[in-house]
Amino acid sequence: MAFFLETLLGGLMAGMLYSLVALGFVLIYKASGVFNFAQGAMVLFAALAMARFAEWFPRWTGIQNPVVANVAAFLIAAAIMFVVAWLIERYVLRHLVNQEGTTLLMATLGIGYLLDGVGQTVFGSDIYKIDIGMPKEPIMAFEGLFPGGILINKEDLYAALIAAFLVSLLSLFFQKTATGRALRAVADDHQAAQSIGIPLNRIWVIVWCVAGIVALVAGMIWGSKLGVQFSLITVALRALPVVILGGLTSVPGAIIGGLIIGVGEKLSEVFLGPYVGGGIEIWFAYVLALVFLLFRPQGLFGEKIIDRV
Amino acid sequence: MTSTIESAMNARGPSASTATVMPDAAPQAPLAPEGGGKEIGDVILDVKNISLSFGGVNALTDISFDVREHEIRAIIGPNGAGKSSMLNCINGVYTPQKGTITFKGKTFSNMDSYQVASMGIARTFQNLALFKGMSVIDNIMTGRNLRIKSNLFLQALRIGPAEREEIRHREFVEHIIDFLEIQAYRKTAVGQLPYGLQKRVDLGRALAMEPKVLLLDEPMAGMNLEEKQDMSRFVLDINDEFGTTVVLIEHDMGVVMDISDRVVVLDYGRKIGDGTPEQVRNNPDVISAYLGTSH
Amino acid sequence: MFYRENGQFKTTYRADQQIFPIAQDRWAVLLIIAAAFLVVPMLASDYMFRAILIPFLIMALAALGVNILVGYCGQISLGSGAFMAVGAYAAFNFFVRVPGMPLLVALVLGGICSAAFGILFGLPSLRVKGLYLSVATLAAQFFSDWMFLRIKWLTNDSPSGSVSVSGMQLFGLPIESPTSKYLLCLGILVVLALLAKNLVRSAIGREWMAIRDMDVAAAVIGIRPMYAKLTAFAVSSFIVGIAGALWGFVYLGSWEPAAFSVDLSFRLLFMVIIGGMGSIMGCFFGAGFIVILPIALNQFLPVLGALLGIDISTAGIAHAELIIFGGLIVWFLIVEPHGLAKLWSIGKQKLRLWPFPH
Repeated sequence: MAFFLETLLGGLMAGMLYSLVALGFVLIYKASGVFNFAQGAMVLFAALAMARFAEWFPRWTGIQNPVVANVAAFLIAAAIMFVVAWLIERYVLRHLVNQEGTTLLMATLGIGYLLDGVGQTVFGSDIYKIDIGMPKEPIMAFEGLFPGGILINKEDLYAALIAAFLVSLLSLFFQKTATGRALRAVADDHQAAQSIGIPLNRIWVIVWCVAGIVALVAGMIWGSKLGVQFSLITVALRALPVVILGGLTSVPGAIIGGLIIGVGEKLSEVFLGPYVGGGIEIWFAYVLALVFLLFRPQGLFGEKIIDRV
Repeated sequence: MTSTIESAMNARGPSASTATVMPDAAPQAPLAPEGGGKEIGDVILDVKNISLSFGGVNALTDISFDVREHEIRAIIGPNGAGKSSMLNCINGVYTPQKGTITFKGKTFSNMDSYQVASMGIARTFQNLALFKGMSVIDNIMTGRNLRIKSNLFLQALRIGPAEREEIRHREFVEHIIDFLEIQAYRKTAVGQLPYGLQKRVDLGRALAMEPKVLLLDEPMAGMNLEEKQDMSRFVLDINDEFGTTVVLIEHDMGVVMDISDRVVVLDYGRKIGDGTPEQVRNNPDVISAYLGTSH
Repeated sequence: MFYRENGQFKTTYRADQQIFPIAQDRWAVLLIIAAAFLVVPMLASDYMFRAILIPFLIMALAALGVNILVGYCGQISLGSGAFMAVGAYAAFNFFVRVPGMPLLVALVLGGICSAAFGILFGLPSLRVKGLYLSVATLAAQFFSDWMFLRIKWLTNDSPSGSVSVSGMQLFGLPIESPTSKYLLCLGILVVLALLAKNLVRSAIGREWMAIRDMDVAAAVIGIRPMYAKLTAFAVSSFIVGIAGALWGFVYLGSWEPAAFSVDLSFRLLFMVIIGGMGSIMGCFFGAGFIVILPIALNQFLPVLGALLGIDISTAGIAHAELIIFGGLIVWFLIVEPHGLAKLWSIGKQKLRLWPFPH
């Protein structure tokens, strides 16, 4: 029982990290109707920027304080993501305004490759460390209830808290602010939003920038856990099923979806895996998404997809 | 006949809120049109008590009318009356919540588009719905799809029967192209054609299905006078030469009065008029619906 | 001046409908095919065969399959690598387990297995499209990755999923030398390309394109979306499966599941986008481009670097490849969504007028 709970909790934590990446997908889709296949590349790019700047900052300025270096690196990386967002809007999105979704999807694939190549050229392609002072030791909780307690990874716990905080911030942003409203209008209908005076271009830069910062936070946490390396891109691919489950247009859906996938992966690996040869983590999320696609394509919380004649 | 309708309408009282099925203009014998020579047959399409709603919006409420073979039946009404929705129900694009449709003796309430098409009902669309990536010939050839029998493997090899079948259908499509006078554009991608010509391709594609009943959704929309004359000529020729029954939605009253045999009038999803063009023109409900009085 | 259709009147529909209606095109293509069969084997070096020609032929075949699904039928697929893997491993199983199995039969059986797999994972296309469909195809990709790594029976009980093939022969002649491998791939490519071209200009091709352009209208005309989409998946996967079998048998010789990863799927999609969606000719352009680019970069970039005084490592070349791919995809989608094939046909149009301005 304790083992089951441990696995469950571990899954929840892992799920939280997926949610972070999925959030970026949802944001961009909600506000521009574009599915951003480049989100993974953005996570990697942002993480690389932060890792390298954290390294270079002390060298350039002589300030050895690691907290200062990390904060500075974070800010610089955020600024870089803003520039990236601006470039993407200016040179890609603006030219593809009324194209169909398929074209935009493939364009984001191309952007992903671009970011990947540029990132690794500029920042290097080794494995880098991000050290933001996350505690690495596990704690044993609930020692009273279960003998020996349940193993909880402190790092995962902090990550989950950060993610939860970010999500609430974003939800508030979308629901309560005027910009958030404008973003939702744009997601609904580009041309209609434009015709009532919403500055499409500026909105898109804002959205991609916010998604970039979400990617940065995700990259920071994942990077702290795994090290910043190329495989971060494939992590993003694992977050795709999360948005299918949760619904492409729902921020809470991204969270719940992430938790379900995280738990599902861990539980299925531990309890189902041995019967079928193990290693089913790589496809569990996807097959679950597949089942949803067949029976409920809009996910748990998304809006129904309507096809008009 | 006229007096029956008028007295029936006078007896009915206020129209909008209590509108139910209008007593049909009841000719028992086939109508003899002014042009002479056209034999209008028995009822081929019978729409009974169709009701359609989306969420809370009632698009159609208890609509019933019939269409006789070889006639040209117009459906008119102000915007939003539910005319396109009616065609969509006949076509299987929408499924009505209530009511049935009887075609050639077979009654159905729940058909899918493919079955309807194979039963012999074709249509054009208000917004064209052409296959923009293909040429005019290919678009019209898609209409022949129901009649192409060779399977995947024969088509891949493209010898003998597959090739001959393709040529046969190409000949048929060329007849349609000649009929619609679009020979010069046959290899052009439809996306590049002007609107009027695209409408002709849409019509051609429907004709290629050799339908018994042709549903035309605003075929004259957005056309100038000459183009309308051309299109009217095509519709009359189709009805005349091929004997196809035509149901058309149209806003231009002149066209409706000129070419249709009988007219159905819809307003806010209800039927408010049914009869010959003359009868409908003098129907006070129809007049108030179009000109607008206090509803 | 040379590229005119003057005097080429078509008096039968058959003549009007042929694959290359313009005589010059017909001659050019026949010449190219003849040269490919007869001249190239005499001139090309082993390196040319191994590094350029054979991968080009196989990738062109795979791109053909992917183009049918993505370009003609409009169903996005990010799982083509999985279909190649199924074709390769299935053909392997038939070849190795059934004594005396002819090579071509094994390849075709591999293609059939891949077609079945394609139909299975193509079922979601009946419910969803676009992005959602691409997620479903990714499911196929990852499932296949796992399947060939963990289900021992599929890989003849090899521990790491890696298998190898040797001793291929065709009608008694051994397929060992680069030349013989090249000719095998060329032959299969020409035959399948012809069949594919016939399909796309027939009724089924029109059905596919109708579904791509407007699937609701297609149903109203009497096209069954289910039949059209599933046949697209089936035919596409069949061709991609045979390409996968050739990739394993002929190009790699021995392979493991990672040879057919999601990266390959993306590459195939890029070939189709850059080459031209909905164009058979485009497959060749796209495949050529993607096969030659890394090699060209390998030769060219260090030279450029030396000129500018920058040292470019192999990793740097790999990154440059990514940048160029990504940049080109975006560029093509904005400027010419129909890819190199469209640029080619625009060029031909201009050639018809040459040397006159209009």
